[in-house]
Amino acid sequence: MTATAPTVGHPKRPHRLIAAARRDPLLTIGLCIVALSIFLALFGTLIAPKSPTEPTGAPSEHPSLSHWMGTDASGLDVFSQVISAPRTDVVLAVSAALVSSVLGTLIGLTAGYFRTWWAEVVMRISDVLQAFPVFILGMMLVALSGRNTGNLIVALSLLYTPIFIRLTRAEVLTQRNRSYVESARAMGNSEWKIAFRHVLPNSLAPSLIQLSVTVGFGILLTAGLSYVGAGVRPPTPEWGLMISSSANQLILGEWWPSVFPGLAISFTVFGFAAVGNAIERRVGG
Amino acid sequence: MTDVSTPSSAVDQEVVLEARGVCVSYGEGTNAVSDFDLRIHRGEIVGLLGESGCGKTSAALALMGLARHPGRVSGSVLYDNRNLLEMSDAELRDIRGRSIGLITQKPRQSLNPLLTIGTQISRVFRAHNRVSKEEAQTHAIELLEAVGINDASRRLTAYPHELSGGMAQRALISMAMSSRPQLLIADEPTSGLDVTIQAQFLDRMWERAQATGSAVLLVTQDLGIIANYCDRIVVMADGRVIEERTVREFFLSPQQEYSKRILAVQSADTTTNPAARRLEGSDALVEVKALSKHFVLPDKRRLQAVQSVDLSIPAGHAVGLVGESGSGKTTVGRLLVRLLEPDAGTVLFAGRDITALDAKAFRPQRARMQIVFQDPFDSLNPRWTVDRIVREPLDLHGLGRGEPASNTTHAEKQQRIAELLDLVGLSPDTRNRKAAALSAGEQQRVCLARALATQPEFLVLDEPTSALPPAARVEMVKLLADLRRRLGISYLFISHDLWTVGQVCDEVAVMYLSQIVEQGTRAQVFEHPSHPYTQALLDSVLLPDPTDRRVDRERKDLAGEIPSPVDLPAGCYLAGRCPLVEDRCRAERQELVTMGDGRSVRCWKVAPATRSAS
Amino acid sequence: MTRFVARRLVIAVVQVAAITIAVFLLIRALPADPVATRVGFNASPDVYRKAKADLGLDRSTLSQLGTYLGGSGTERGLLAGNLGTSWASGSTVASEIGDALPITLELISLSFLLAGAIAIPLGMRTARRPGKALDKAVFGYGLFAGAAPEFWWGLMLVFVFYFKLGWAPAPLGRLSPQLQAPTQRTGAILIDSLLAGRLDAFWDGLRHLILPVVTLAFVLSGPIMKMVRQSMTRVLGSDFVLYAQAAGLPPRQVSRSTLRAAFGPVLTLTSILYGFMLGGAVLVESVFSLGGLGQYSVKSVLEFNYPSIQGVVLVITVLSLVIYLVLDVLLALLDPRARHR
Repeated sequence: MTATAPTVGHPKRPHRLIAAARRDPLLTIGLCIVALSIFLALFGTLIAPKSPTEPTGAPSEHPSLSHWMGTDASGLDVFSQVISAPRTDVVLAVSAALVSSVLGTLIGLTAGYFRTWWAEVVMRISDVLQAFPVFILGMMLVALSGRNTGNLIVALSLLYTPIFIRLTRAEVLTQRNRSYVESARAMGNSEWKIAFRHVLPNSLAPSLIQLSVTVGFGILLTAGLSYVGAGVRPPTPEWGLMISSSANQLILGEWWPSVFPGLAISFTVFGFAAVGNAIERRVGG
Repeated sequence: MTDVSTPSSAVDQEVVLEARGVCVSYGEGTNAVSDFDLRIHRGEIVGLLGESGCGKTSAALALMGLARHPGRVSGSVLYDNRNLLEMSDAELRDIRGRSIGLITQKPRQSLNPLLTIGTQISRVFRAHNRVSKEEAQTHAIELLEAVGINDASRRLTAYPHELSGGMAQRALISMAMSSRPQLLIADEPTSGLDVTIQAQFLDRMWERAQATGSAVLLVTQDLGIIANYCDRIVVMADGRVIEERTVREFFLSPQQEYSKRILAVQSADTTTNPAARRLEGSDALVEVKALSKHFVLPDKRRLQAVQSVDLSIPAGHAVGLVGESGSGKTTVGRLLVRLLEPDAGTVLFAGRDITALDAKAFRPQRARMQIVFQDPFDSLNPRWTVDRIVREPLDLHGLGRGEPASNTTHAEKQQRIAELLDLVGLSPDTRNRKAAALSAGEQQRVCLARALATQPEFLVLDEPTSALPPAARVEMVKLLADLRRRLGISYLFISHDLWTVGQVCDEVAVMYLSQIVEQGTRAQVFEHPSHPYTQALLDSVLLPDPTDRRVDRERKDLAGEIPSPVDLPAGCYLAGRCPLVEDRCRAERQELVTMGDGRSVRCWKVAPATRSAS
Repeated sequence: MTRFVARRLVIAVVQVAAITIAVFLLIRALPADPVATRVGFNASPDVYRKAKADLGLDRSTLSQLGTYLGGSGTERGLLAGNLGTSWASGSTVASEIGDALPITLELISLSFLLAGAIAIPLGMRTARRPGKALDKAVFGYGLFAGAAPEFWWGLMLVFVFYFKLGWAPAPLGRLSPQLQAPTQRTGAILIDSLLAGRLDAFWDGLRHLILPVVTLAFVLSGPIMKMVRQSMTRVLGSDFVLYAQAAGLPPRQVSRSTLRAAFGPVLTLTSILYGFMLGGAVLVESVFSLGGLGQYSVKSVLEFNYPSIQGVVLVITVLSLVIYLVLDVLLALLDPRARHR
């Protein structure tokens, strides 16, 4: 459909995001959650009322005024742990998502645009990686190379790069057949220039949507790995680890040390998913 | 001419269907169709004319009580004195497909992709007639044969994706006519088809309607179709009927302002060329010799797109390249500006063989030759403003004519952009817009401004008007003719639309299945076509003139479909469709032979080959 | 069709080989020390060296790969169908996986049945009535169900239904400890108990399976529902459904065509999810101590038990590829357009 009614010229305004958020409550909620989680990732450990790694009360205290979310079986303050955990969970998931999206987009662009033999090889490798059981591969990489944050980021990035390669490549394959690419060539642009100046910016939408979703996946996977004992080591405050170490208490009725970190995960992942969904509706629909 | 005021008085006056105050809405907001009134009489052909987006498709579907999910229809549609819009589903089903048939704009999408054609036709027939499966199959074969499908029994087992657009449309019409409906609704049935196929199809439809006595509502944007096939015309704009007359009356004296305008647009003749002249002495700017190109399909089959094409474009001249889909005309255009590399042959540009240059050495030459594509929206980077789009060639080549780009200052570029926008007739405030905020006509002007930025000597225009609505198309043709006169630039004008080519070009080459079959001056080719294909092509053009209807005269039809360029015939490529075919045509490849008057023709019956002497 | 399947089989074999070799090299390239985990970090160099030789790790990686694939002496290799011996227990990897795999298959198959039973009708209904309250509720559910980790859902269900209400058994295995397990035939507890005529074991096994199945179905139904809705919406708005109505076809024929056309993408997603769940059910298996394939792989990885890791990866990959192959065949049967690819 070509636009027949000329729309009003829309000069760029810096407040587009805010304007969009006002019209879209889901996006607003999502953005608030994302902002909060990034804030906590930066300052959570500083504003925590108690130490997240040292016992500050009696074991298994109910939520109270001094311990808002109670204490766990070792006497650690649950609230302080919950707000300190984004330093691990969010930082890890966001860095892995960024690394894999940048890497995947670049590989996908070159593989889709230039279609050389090595691009084929890259695609086959990423195919093989995708046929791989994700959770087990992640567990293997982390457990065998040492359970620390750095290795987790590397493992997660490796796991998520193929998705971005695939998405970008698919988009590039449709974009490269459009006439504006041919026009750019007819004008005398070099192939690299066409790929990076014309095709790349027009092929970013799927990766952008996926980026937000991937942060969510990353948080879930980090927590999952901790839960089975293949993630970060205690006493690092981390949501999955908190749930894991309190799972046995839950059967005895001590719900608070596992309910609150679980809620924290849910809200964070929900926030990122909501932002992704809003981007999808905007760019894709 | 005296009885024109009484609509189709020859036909009996019984009303088949009457719509009163029909509205169609999709969710909130304004109605797609409002207060639509229409009366269709037995046996008449009514044309529903309107531009895309005016609501004519919604109106046509509403006559069957249908709206695309999640639309709603209100008002009343009387069929047989009963209101369709108040009927039960079962009663509606009984009328749809039996009393009112439908053919749509996208035949292939309208067929169920998961079922064979045979199953689909017999299902529709069995939904309205008590017959066995076997009887329905036999009937399906008869129906397909009636619309001119030769190997009907084999086609029954084909799936929709295996059919060409024309074939699918014929399957659809045999489905729609299977129960001999009182009314056939045809929604732009030929919009995706080639001209010769379009004419073939409309002829069949017209014949079927005459044979079954069905009335037809023919929805279209094309006045040529209306003039040639319809008795009465209904004009729609913005979801409303604005004029309703007999066709002859309408073409004589349209009443509404809008109707006058579209009529003026579609029958406009803007020929600004002086009589076509051939500058014998002048050097050719572009000289193409024995150009060939093939592609390899994913299934490894070889598609011969272009076969030993010779072409010469003198400086300042416009050469038209005419042909239907699959003829290879677009490939020729791309080869000329080296967007594709030829298999064989040379392209001399200003005396220099550009196919011999390596890619990097060739790049600066691109400033001197440019191309404009068919789809203007697709040709513009959707994220860039018009300003940035037009500046790109200036950044690469400067102001053209050999200066290095670095010599050009920012101010000079700004100045040049303003000039260019003015040249193509765009207002300065389009500069900060993006493609999506412009109309199709404006988008194509931006493409033209960009192509002209570096003052090229040669422009390939690849169907530059085909994606535009009628009014914008005429404007664009005027602009192109005008620019050529003012800038002295040469064109290769590629089109399937003979009218536009006639408006812009001095010389015309006709392509069919990878070869040029006829070439000469505009007058030679258009006024006295000699190749059977050129004749049929010209004959299929539907002129907006109701006094010379195609259905009233003897026709020079081409039979069947355009063969696939993957599987070319052994002898003359036209042999399978040509009305003049003889055994020799099927056996012998044809040579392009230059005749005494300077034109070249590829047909031994018209231009006996001198080859036999050698 | 035969050629199509044959081609896919060849590709699958190459993929399995590539993954097997890649995993073999990868686990040996990573800095883990399986010898130290076995003999302890304070073992004398001699003991260490001997243990290393016992595991075969003293030889070059390529020679180890050769042994793993081709076998040595009387011991058969992978090419002869031997998955090797577990370093932790000394029993064969094949027998251990043979015990764990049916548990996982039973769990996820039931979960997919339940998820489908919820997601397909809801997805179809919301596609027919977009924007209604149910549609919005389902949209929110999809967003939220996918946001919470499944092991947490599992724990919450345990808290409510075991601790608070006492309706469910303790999350400590597949059968109550006082009950004797039925003779093992297929490894799936429900089937085995029926085969043995043990209705008591059947009901007990079912009771133990309810919470894990509900947990997984809860997570799985979100994406399936979204796909059903999307796919149905596309087909409902398509030209051919409109045309079928315009041709006055009976409603049963129209809705059957609609379902068939919408089914492909749903089938594809379900198959991919199923393949993913072979290893991805690990968290739910852990919560309820079911001892399936996922839990086995966790154990193997944490123990640096290379032959077991290798075996699990191989089995999951082969199963996933078989599922994809079956999927492709089904899609080709469903849609004539897919037959030419």
